[in-house]
Amino acid sequence: MATSSTHVPSAAAASGLRGAIAELWQDKAAAVGLVIILLLILMAVFAPLIAPYDPAAQAITARLKPPVWMARGTWDHLLGTDNLGRDVLSRIIWGARATLTIGAVTCLLAATLGTLVGLWAGFAGGRTDTLLMRIVDIQVSFPGIFLILLVVAMLGPGIWTLVAVLSMTNWMVYARLIRGIVSSTRQTPYVEAAELIGCKPGRVIFRHILPNLVSPLLTLAILEFTNIVLAEAAVSFLGFGVQPPATSWGLDVASGRDYLFIAWWLVTFPGLTIVATVLSINLFANWLRVTADPEERERRFARAEAAKRRRRTRGANA
Amino acid sequence: MTTKLLAQAVGLATIFACTTVAPAWAQSITIAIGSEPSTLDPQLRDDGGERQVNDNIYETLMARTPTGELVPGLAAAVPTQVDATTWQFKLREGVKFHNGEPFNADAVVASVTRVIDPANNSEQMAYYGTIKGAEKVDDLTVNLVTNGPDPILPSRLYWMKMIAPGYSKDGDLAGAPVGTGPYKFESWNRGTDLTLVANSDYWRGEPEIDGVTYRFVTEPGTRLSGLLSGEFDVITNLLPEFTESVPKFAAVRSLETSVFVLGTDNEVTKDPKVRQALNLAIDRQSMVESLFMGYASVAKGSHINPAAVGFNEKLEPYPYDIEKAKALIKEAGAEGKPLVVVGESGRWLKDREQIEAVAGYWAETGLQVTTDIQEFSQYLESLMGDGPRPDSIFIANSNELLDADREMSFIYHKDGAAASNSDAEMAAMIEAARTETDAAKRKSIYDQIQQKGHELSYTVPLFNLQDIYGLSERMEWQPRVDAKMIVSEMKVAE
Amino acid sequence: MLQFILRRLFQGVLVVFGVSATVFVVTRLAGDPVSLMLPLSATEAQRIAFAQQIGLDQPIAAQFMRFLGDIVTLDFGNSLWQRRPAIDVVFERLPNTMLLIAAGLGSAVILSIPLGAIAALRPGGLVDRLTMSIGLLGLAMPQFWIGLIAILIFAVQLKWLPTSGMGTVAHIVLPALTLSLTPLARFTMMVRAAMIDELNKQYVKTARAKGLGLPRILRVHTLRNILVPFLSISGWELISTLSGYTVVVETVFAWPGLGLTAVQAIQRGDLFLMQAIVFVIAILIVIIGIVLDILSKAVDPRIELN
Repeated sequence: MATSSTHVPSAAAASGLRGAIAELWQDKAAAVGLVIILLLILMAVFAPLIAPYDPAAQAITARLKPPVWMARGTWDHLLGTDNLGRDVLSRIIWGARATLTIGAVTCLLAATLGTLVGLWAGFAGGRTDTLLMRIVDIQVSFPGIFLILLVVAMLGPGIWTLVAVLSMTNWMVYARLIRGIVSSTRQTPYVEAAELIGCKPGRVIFRHILPNLVSPLLTLAILEFTNIVLAEAAVSFLGFGVQPPATSWGLDVASGRDYLFIAWWLVTFPGLTIVATVLSINLFANWLRVTADPEERERRFARAEAAKRRRRTRGANA
Repeated sequence: MTTKLLAQAVGLATIFACTTVAPAWAQSITIAIGSEPSTLDPQLRDDGGERQVNDNIYETLMARTPTGELVPGLAAAVPTQVDATTWQFKLREGVKFHNGEPFNADAVVASVTRVIDPANNSEQMAYYGTIKGAEKVDDLTVNLVTNGPDPILPSRLYWMKMIAPGYSKDGDLAGAPVGTGPYKFESWNRGTDLTLVANSDYWRGEPEIDGVTYRFVTEPGTRLSGLLSGEFDVITNLLPEFTESVPKFAAVRSLETSVFVLGTDNEVTKDPKVRQALNLAIDRQSMVESLFMGYASVAKGSHINPAAVGFNEKLEPYPYDIEKAKALIKEAGAEGKPLVVVGESGRWLKDREQIEAVAGYWAETGLQVTTDIQEFSQYLESLMGDGPRPDSIFIANSNELLDADREMSFIYHKDGAAASNSDAEMAAMIEAARTETDAAKRKSIYDQIQQKGHELSYTVPLFNLQDIYGLSERMEWQPRVDAKMIVSEMKVAE
Repeated sequence: MLQFILRRLFQGVLVVFGVSATVFVVTRLAGDPVSLMLPLSATEAQRIAFAQQIGLDQPIAAQFMRFLGDIVTLDFGNSLWQRRPAIDVVFERLPNTMLLIAAGLGSAVILSIPLGAIAALRPGGLVDRLTMSIGLLGLAMPQFWIGLIAILIFAVQLKWLPTSGMGTVAHIVLPALTLSLTPLARFTMMVRAAMIDELNKQYVKTARAKGLGLPRILRVHTLRNILVPFLSISGWELISTLSGYTVVVETVFAWPGLGLTAVQAIQRGDLFLMQAIVFVIAILIVIIGIVLDILSKAVDPRIELN
């Protein structure tokens, strides 16, 4: 959560916050995406205040109530209740907490580890570089979910097992990215100059290289975030991730699938929430990627101008 | 009650049906079961998937009617006791295995010898631990010898499938079974399906349904969708909620009883008043209606299965009296004291729902109730491990032998794996009954044990559960209380 | 070329060694295989006997050597659940998984090329926007969810296709389409982007100016140029499908492949079967990687390893 919420403004700070918002507004899809992301974060942070019920509270007498707009639905449970009489809406709200926390912590851990390895490899160069990158290659070839299942089988399922395994299987992309940027940045004249005049490596990293890393790293982390969300949902769906009585959207889809034919809302709403989350992040990240890349930005600007001209000429002709 | 009557009626009908001539048209059916057999060797594993298939291929010396009554199967008659440790079985004449081998005393001796051979390390030894060996008397007479007096040996033999002596040496028991039953093994595509065909030489006459294909579908939701889409004719473990959505269904009282075992030496639950209060605080009838949609019945004052030999039918269910429960808690000075409810989730029908609902009722008595739903291996450790006994722990206990000894040794006997009491007197009674060969005396000891357990509220019995099967439109079948899916008892409508 | 392949093979051996080391650490050092695999009621003597049987009483280094030896000989011990060599179970289920992946990825490849190409012809046009929206949705939808919805609609409501299992051609349609969704979205976007780039290049403009028909230009020049990136992205999708998505899709559709078997093995505490699956998948991934590199090099000899 922390990565996406606190860094969004700073990434755009280059052109000024107001400018960024105006620019974002041009891309309606990305704007909607950002709004949904912010809503999800608010939902996760204020879950205890927003959620109408305790997500684990059961009411045996109010089992499998449909959403409010259906024949048997009530205003007590806007999105209905599940097989234990738990409020679906409250579970979705609390589920945001589980999903976003796991996603954020995993991204943070993976990005930190990946950045360190990448910096080390990019700076040390030579043998160390080859060795580290070979380790990265090995890790990339690991049989993803199977390995997660193996670890869960040995250590028992749980949120923290999941975070640990997902971090361990996702840090490589960051290492590759950082190492690539570092080794190309080191060859730029100003870094070479800095090194020549005797700047210490630490100073070179902090003054000259890190600033170049922030925006690609952020974009990558946001994109990776969606992978983590989907992975968490899948593993929880299989029963090896978040365990009851804790909540997670994937877990809710899993427990709702036995009731698919008489209570479609149990599978549909948590599933749609996952779709909305991933979609919003992708839309926003896409915009961010273009915005952070000067070349792409130029192209986007050119396209927008061209479109404006077309509209104007069409308007004139009409 | 009505289901029981119905079960008996249909049971009789099936017995008659077996004697009538099968109709000329032929049908095959598809049954979706929850797990694939790990092997088709009938003597090694304690595996539900293996049983569901092999129950149709193999037969046993003793059988049960659909309502649970023990009757001769491959034995010609009920066995006679020669002395305290020897039972004599007369065998049915003219029965042949699917490969042509005759069924005789040699087959019985081979089957018994193989299953109790320590080298085979059979998981079924839980049922046969008392058996010492089998001796051939003549071609159609066998003596079974037990280590000590064992009044329930005939019930045990209801589990032991008879294998062909020749085939068991040189055949592929694990992959291509050969039995005496109404269906013959045809093919097994591992992971996908398994097919049986009718045995036209079956000694009771050829079964009505021509062939059966088993499909292995773990998820209840997937089984249900297969039934709704018309791919399956019979599915297992239908949830009560779906009885209205499926074309047809059939319910029968199962072998399982759900119960909480109370720790009689624990701080709060050592007071019999508290334990009684816990029993009185639960509105079992309303749970039957809301949770099980009526497909369960309130346990009659003990956790012994009502179909089991030794069940005390004189006990009444604990009434629902929350006021009295509150008063008892107050009397015991236990108000506000903590009570931990231990359970698991996903193993038994509506386990979590039962645990949470009961915890809710208990909280109303004034106790400080916390629920601890544990991961299954951790739960097993709580239930059967050597650590401290929980205040209360949930279990849906299954009685495969349909004999009271099973549930008593497990839960009432102080050294039982799931017992939470230290009542030496009760343990002595259980041991006495175990070796008592006089049926009437044995029954009276069991009645006393249940009476005592009921009065002292050693357990909180909840429900006698039901097995519900989903059926396709064309199926006609009344399931059995022993949860076996005997295809020769099923019918397909035209 | 030979040197290239050899170097690549050596790298593959390193990967398998890395996987071995990780699995060894996870299963032998972090967890306790004895209590996982034996029933709770096992006696102390049984526990000790089992620990000896799998060599837990030996020093760590010796254990690891034995572990590596077992991997080289593909001897993973007997499956606890099926009571036969774990590797037999794996080789029995592997073809099912391969069939599903072939059908799923195959349909993704076949559908994505025309979809991406048509979308690229008029960037920003209706077809393009539609394709992109569906693509974005495809990337956002979890397979387990869309699979369930597909069962509900196509199997239960419409009764067009079977709900689960394997057997006829009809059985494979729903799981394959579910599996193809994410790769299809990725491929289509990739084809589209590459096509837009290609179409803006000078040679296409020249060729069009010369009056060559667009289909011919696409066939002769453009498609060949996007073949290399397409190969590498489809290789990547193949690997992630093999190592992940199949578990979910096979579980939803009760498809008897390695993924479903892995889930069942875990539920039964069958560590040996699980290890066998992990290794066979890891080895497959390595082989796929090598084949892909060779293919890419064959298509475009300019490519250098690393």
